[in-house]
Amino acid sequence: MNPRRSISSNPASTVKSRFTNGFLQALLRINRQRITSTTAYTPREIFRGYLRVKIAADVSMASAIGSRRAWSRAILRKVRSHGRDGAQVRRMSFLAMRKRNLYGNIKCVEDAGFHQANVLRKLVPGGEAMDMCCLLGETAHYIKCLKTQVKVMGRIAEVFST
Amino acid sequence: MQPCSREMQGINALLNPPQISLQDLHDQQQQQQSQIQSSNIHRQVQNSHFDPTSHDDFLEQMFSTIPPPSCSWSDLNPAKTPAAWDLNPRDLSDDTAPLNPDNNNNVAFQFDDSANLASKLRNHQISGSAKSAAAAAAMMLQQQLLMSRGVAGAGDSGLIPMPLSLGSADDNVDGSSSFKSPNLGAHDDSVQALFNGFAGSMHGPSQTPNQTQHFHHSQGGPVQGQNYGSPGAAMNQAPASGSAGSAPAQPRQRVRARRGQATDPHSIAERLRRERIAERMKALQELVPNANKTDKASMLDEIIDYVKFLQLQVKVLSMSRLGGAAAVAPLVADMSPEGGGDCIQAGGGNGGAQRNQTASSNDTLMVTEHQVAKLMEEDMGSAMQYLQGKGLCLMPISLATVISTATCHSRNPTNRSVLQPNGGEGPSSPSMSVLTVQSATLGNGTVDASVKDSNSVSKT
Repeated sequence: MNPRRSISSNPASTVKSRFTNGFLQALLRINRQRITSTTAYTPREIFRGYLRVKIAADVSMASAIGSRRAWSRAILRKVRSHGRDGAQVRRMSFLAMRKRNLYGNIKCVEDAGFHQANVLRKLVPGGEAMDMCCLLGETAHYIKCLKTQVKVMGRIAEVFST
Repeated sequence: MQPCSREMQGINALLNPPQISLQDLHDQQQQQQSQIQSSNIHRQVQNSHFDPTSHDDFLEQMFSTIPPPSCSWSDLNPAKTPAAWDLNPRDLSDDTAPLNPDNNNNVAFQFDDSANLASKLRNHQISGSAKSAAAAAAMMLQQQLLMSRGVAGAGDSGLIPMPLSLGSADDNVDGSSSFKSPNLGAHDDSVQALFNGFAGSMHGPSQTPNQTQHFHHSQGGPVQGQNYGSPGAAMNQAPASGSAGSAPAQPRQRVRARRGQATDPHSIAERLRRERIAERMKALQELVPNANKTDKASMLDEIIDYVKFLQLQVKVLSMSRLGGAAAVAPLVADMSPEGGGDCIQAGGGNGGAQRNQTASSNDTLMVTEHQVAKLMEEDMGSAMQYLQGKGLCLMPISLATVISTATCHSRNPTNRSVLQPNGGEGPSSPSMSVLTVQSATLGNGTVDASVKDSNSVSKT
């Protein structure tokens, strides 16, 4: 609770401002790429362009948070290991699941929210390796950051669509 | 001593609201703890002359040596000025002026007169003002005395972090009884307990004078409530810690087994885990809208839906920046199966103002309708392509009603045979949605779409 408050008290470096800066820079970069390359309107190209923007949004959000949270670390890790093979990623997630079961939530199956917890783990980045308690905390922070992201991106879209 | 217990109860009545703010204070003060601790021992006795003759003057001198408030308290109470002393306005107004800027003029009180001071304090506040603020202030000063004395005498005894707990009625009585102890030197245990409890919640004597200052504010009831919280809590914890955990406390940092429950580590760990999960769920409940569900499973469902909704919003927003209605179509087609129960209403493909609505799937179809209408203005072919990508088709409304009533239970063959003559292409996928488009701009076309309220019939 404390580091977040002390950081947010300084107006120049709130999460929102850091995310905005990073995202705008990424958008500029993407725009420059699009201008130089051929502007293709095939669905595939469009989809790739959209994916780039979305990844830029997620990565700038994660970098704004830094390594303080497990989900931001997971996003950054995923992006950095983007080129490596998928088998390694699957292996890592399997190990993460085993680690989670070892760390004490052995009764998790009997709990009321086991199935929802699985769904939540797939939604929240990096949620595979977390027990219920950490998962809920990460979800709360993730929801907060998603809200900020949506607000900022909406504002940007509004500004640029005039 | 009747007034004491009454005042104690009055203080405790105000304890309930400000617990959270006190916890925040707690955290803030822990940061300053190390600095204050080092400066504690090096304090000088500046005010060596206490005039015991007149109680008013005595209190004035006590208060005049109290350092000004630190920034954490001023953050909490921005409207409060440290110079407002309600207790003795005529006397203290001059004395508080030179104290404000410098935070390092902390003083320790003279230890010789501590017993006299304490007894005189008590007498004064009992006979004098009727405000409970004075009583608490007096108690604060007494504890400050004790603490500074304890610090100087016993060296660095350490500030034990005590959990902030609201004591029960028993704690009230205990607190008042410990407050009433006349001879401070003789009851070292209670003194040390008071000191520990007080220090634990205060984390530094420099904080206490701030509270004594704030006690004298006649305005701001909740402010007083806040300030009452910490000394009250301190006094409640001192007897609570002294009574070896028999009271059913609700700690945040330590788990104590309640009477009658099992004390084996497994159940304790289990209980801890459940408490933590309940805490997190409560925090999540505040973040997620429509969070009035009491059931844990439904709450989780709500949370999941909300996360999906937010992720979908991010996707749509990132897509909207690419511009162009034709560009939007295949992307929306890609995204529509991911929409799930809650869908958003995207304001067109050009990134219009985003409206956050957790609506049913009807809204998705309305979005599609707007898209199709826009596309139809430009090029019919792209409109049909867009619809095809989504698995939709255009058809006259009369036909749509016939189909909806007749083919509720049937699947592909009937639909296809009905749709083919219209020129609209049925989708290859078994699930089909029939969309009737209200388009004001579409006059004549291959499809006779009447202008009326569009009904979306979706069969999946």
